[in-house]
Amino acid sequence: MSNTPQLSKEQYLALYRQMLEIRRTEEQLAKSHQAGLIPGACHTYVGEEAIATGICAHLTHRDAVFSTHRGHGHALAKGVPPREVIAELFGRATGCSRGRGGSMHLFAPEVGMMGTSGIVGPCILQATGAGYTSKLLNNGTVGVAFFGDGASNNGAFHEGLNLAAIWDLPVIFVCENNMYATEVAFSYATRNTEVADRAKTYGMNAIAVDGNDVLAVYQAAEEAVNRARAGNGPTLIEGKTYRTRAHSEGMRDAGYRTPEEVEAWKKRDPIDNYRAKLLAQGAASENDFAAIDAETKALIDEALEFAKNSPYPDPATVTEYIYSQ
Amino acid sequence: MAIEIVMPRLGWTMEEGTLVEWIKKDGDTVQPGEIMFVIESDKALNEVESFEAGIFRIPPNSDVLGKTLPVGTVLAYVAQPGEALPFEQAPSAVLAAPAQTSAAASSPVPVQQIPVIQTSAAQSSNGSSLPNISPRARRVAHELGIEWAVLKGSGRTGRIVERDVRAAAVSAPQTAAAQVSPVAKRAAEELGVDIHQLAAQMPGQRITREHVERAALPTAPAATTQPTAAETRTPMPRVRQVIAERMSASAQTTAPVTLTTEVDATELVKVRQGLKAAGKADRRPVPSYNDLLAKLVAEVLRDHPQLNARIEGDEIVTSGSVNVGFAVDVERGLLVPVVRDVAAKSIRQIAAEGAALVDRARSNTLRSDDLSGGTFTITNLGMYDIDAFTPIINLPQCAILGMGRIVPKQVVVDAEAERLAIRHMMFLSLTFDHRLVDGAPAARFLKQVKQFIEQPYLWLVN
Amino acid sequence: MREITYTVAAREALTEEMARQPSIFVVGEGIGVRGGNFNTTLGLYDQYGPMRLRDTPIVERGFVGMCAGAAMTGSRPVVDFMFFDFILDSMGELINQIAKMQYMSSGRLKMPIVLRGCIGIGGASATHHSGNYYPMFVHLPGIRVVVPSNPYDAKGLFKTALRGDDPVLFLEHKSLLNNKGHVPEEEYFIPFGQAAIVREGTQATVVAIGSMVRKTIEACDALAGEGASIEIIDPRTLAPLDIDTILQSVHKTGRLLIVDETFAPCGVGAEIAAQVMARGFDDLDAPVQRLNGTHTPTPYSPPLEAAVVPNTNQIIQSIRDLLAE
Repeated sequence: MSNTPQLSKEQYLALYRQMLEIRRTEEQLAKSHQAGLIPGACHTYVGEEAIATGICAHLTHRDAVFSTHRGHGHALAKGVPPREVIAELFGRATGCSRGRGGSMHLFAPEVGMMGTSGIVGPCILQATGAGYTSKLLNNGTVGVAFFGDGASNNGAFHEGLNLAAIWDLPVIFVCENNMYATEVAFSYATRNTEVADRAKTYGMNAIAVDGNDVLAVYQAAEEAVNRARAGNGPTLIEGKTYRTRAHSEGMRDAGYRTPEEVEAWKKRDPIDNYRAKLLAQGAASENDFAAIDAETKALIDEALEFAKNSPYPDPATVTEYIYSQ
Repeated sequence: MAIEIVMPRLGWTMEEGTLVEWIKKDGDTVQPGEIMFVIESDKALNEVESFEAGIFRIPPNSDVLGKTLPVGTVLAYVAQPGEALPFEQAPSAVLAAPAQTSAAASSPVPVQQIPVIQTSAAQSSNGSSLPNISPRARRVAHELGIEWAVLKGSGRTGRIVERDVRAAAVSAPQTAAAQVSPVAKRAAEELGVDIHQLAAQMPGQRITREHVERAALPTAPAATTQPTAAETRTPMPRVRQVIAERMSASAQTTAPVTLTTEVDATELVKVRQGLKAAGKADRRPVPSYNDLLAKLVAEVLRDHPQLNARIEGDEIVTSGSVNVGFAVDVERGLLVPVVRDVAAKSIRQIAAEGAALVDRARSNTLRSDDLSGGTFTITNLGMYDIDAFTPIINLPQCAILGMGRIVPKQVVVDAEAERLAIRHMMFLSLTFDHRLVDGAPAARFLKQVKQFIEQPYLWLVN
Repeated sequence: MREITYTVAAREALTEEMARQPSIFVVGEGIGVRGGNFNTTLGLYDQYGPMRLRDTPIVERGFVGMCAGAAMTGSRPVVDFMFFDFILDSMGELINQIAKMQYMSSGRLKMPIVLRGCIGIGGASATHHSGNYYPMFVHLPGIRVVVPSNPYDAKGLFKTALRGDDPVLFLEHKSLLNNKGHVPEEEYFIPFGQAAIVREGTQATVVAIGSMVRKTIEACDALAGEGASIEIIDPRTLAPLDIDTILQSVHKTGRLLIVDETFAPCGVGAEIAAQVMARGFDDLDAPVQRLNGTHTPTPYSPPLEAAVVPNTNQIIQSIRDLLAE
């Protein structure tokens, strides 16, 4: 992936805007969690924005994304408005899951967000299933699974990738390799830390990219999506990245990694570096960025107010939707 | 069913008491008259006797000792052998013993896996085995009015089941199930009644002494009517029970004699009409005939104090004041609130107090003091067109004066002149306790009452 | 009316619905070319080909998870386990994903998936192929559990399962597959939650489940000679459970026995007993009784296997004991 894709200014800035929206939302959620506004868990995506952004840039609302516990970025990149993500984590009825899910069960099928999940692994299988539907109904959609390095050792990875490969399903498996599964280093959990290598086992295509380079991700995604839509089967994309905050808000972030390592990765911040790159290449101006910064700030501020003022769900509805009836 | 022994009302003023000592213990036999326990009320200790014979039972978790509890609280039971007690109805097992299969070793039924809560034969403290009854059978028994406690159960564990109840409801020779109380058995022996024949005529019922006595009468066949499904049963309200006890005690204790006399109440009527007319602009209650009689009686009792007395032990206690009880009929029974010291009060005062008492009686807000301390009672059935009757003495009082209706009649006002007139006539019925007072003094009292009614101005100067 | 086997009746339902709904596809081991180990899909592969009759590798978690994703994205999978024991490898996908998806998404995602296979003891299949675990599934909100005992019910209930949008476990006792029964030619549906009164009676109610229905009928035929009048109820579906029919029957007879091959602890009989005790207490003339399979893994040797399953004689004795209570 050495060629930088040639995009329009709007497209470049759209990528920036999307990453920033994720970043500001996650920062606000981290603050809100500390303020006691989020009753449950909150796994933030800070530092990994390039992957969600780059992949989802090629997806439509009809494509299905299946995500994990660290899925706010995927939900936002897929088109769920920040106010609905924040309201959901606040447990309000206006959240995207109507208050029933919280962080790890974000649903917005209307925009193809088919759920974040508290269990590691099922999203891989479900994305495979989305691929099956696509092929059965011949509707040109793709299924996308986002998961971490921790999932790559899970049986679901093996079974899902194998099925997608033998049946040539239109699926993109995106491994966000941030080197740690909670506090377990990937280097401990596996002998071969190159996730992309595994695709060979299944006879599947793979692309390994710098997960903090949104344009590299964008390019990899383009290849994978085109392949899938053309009926030529699945792709495994491994994006090497890093989360600069703790595994989960409120958890200790010490002992399993060094502050130096964290600092080093902060210097590789996907948003800052992207902005600098575009400025350097003259693809956009400070004013462009300033405007987006301001608009994003306003967007998140409004989303926070919306969430704070939203009502809680009515307990009388608690037994609804168990069955379709 | 076992008889409930409750916190007794040991006086009209008593609302609650404290059981301070058990005299009978759980499982003791008890005879009528024996002391069961000691109750403290109004700073007085009372030894409470049993009216029943049987086995004294205290519930296993009983916590009544030393507690102040309302009158009517269940404290204990007197049961007959074989009778069920409410606290010993053990719940039937839910995860029941799986079927005892006939297949020898190869039972698929996991008997050993499930802790089996067997239906009891409940452990009762005196070791007797008490019958169980299924919920369905209990319901059907209630619907059909069957006394199930005396039935024999055909369930595998001896449980009474629906078929047993239905069989008892049909007058079939399942009368082996009829239960005879020990008292009834003794009575049958004494009176020469064939208890088995009697039982055969009363399938599924409990035969009591009364049944036996009735059967002993020459003309009576087993006159006891078979209870049909059309009967209704309601528990006896507390007030009724107390009235029953009091009436019974009075009938059994006193030597009541009733004297009647017809009185010309025309003058009294005039007094009342006058007061009524004068009182039209007044909001105070118009004195009723009861109020007037109360005052009048209090005046007469000055001259006849022996009718304002009572027996206590071997003493006669004559009261210094006349406290008149007014018999008031309210829905739940007869109440007799008291106006004290009538002699010292004006008729207006008596009328006001009387009206207030009647109100309180009707609204069930009588205070304990309202019902106590009476020395003489007045009762009026005139509004029901009753002329003369035999009122029952309100123990421990000596006498009670009944008033009948006031009705205009043609009477002889001057026998010599053979002059007739229409006069308002009323019967007085005085029941007195002949233990305390003889007929002549009682008659003299009544005659003076008559006099005062016929010549009301006599009160003014008394 | 014609008589056909249980297997054929169920296959007719599948055939009719696959013709009607192109989004139905079947997934499982050997269900494609071979037509299914139990002939569940005989002849369908020739008609529809591999996309709709999909042979799988031995990856139960994989294809159950995959089918969950497929059901979420617009197709209607039928997972054919052959032996339903094999679902145990995919319990996470069943319980955490399939059962909960409608609720978590507030009804915006449907889960029109049918999971079918053979249950129960017989043919010396031994413990890994004799599983009968429906009490566990009945316990969960979000799943329907169907246990037809005869060909007529099998077809009518399978049709309903394939038309609905809820996850359904369609459980076929292996000892029933070759039983014949009357099945109309015309299309018909049997709704869930509707018990069948197999026989009317007055002295006791026996609720018999699945493979126990036929044995209970035999037992009651024998007892009829002694003058016993026994009412037999086949619930047909365990979730939803038609408790009202059972209660009405107990109101009439006063005595209840539940006969079930599965284990007693926390079983369906325990649930029925608890509900009847709660709502029909005053109708009970005797304690509720249960006759269950022995609480043990299923042994292989035929005399041992027979010893752990309730047989007709045991049912007879249980009813006799119940009447004597």
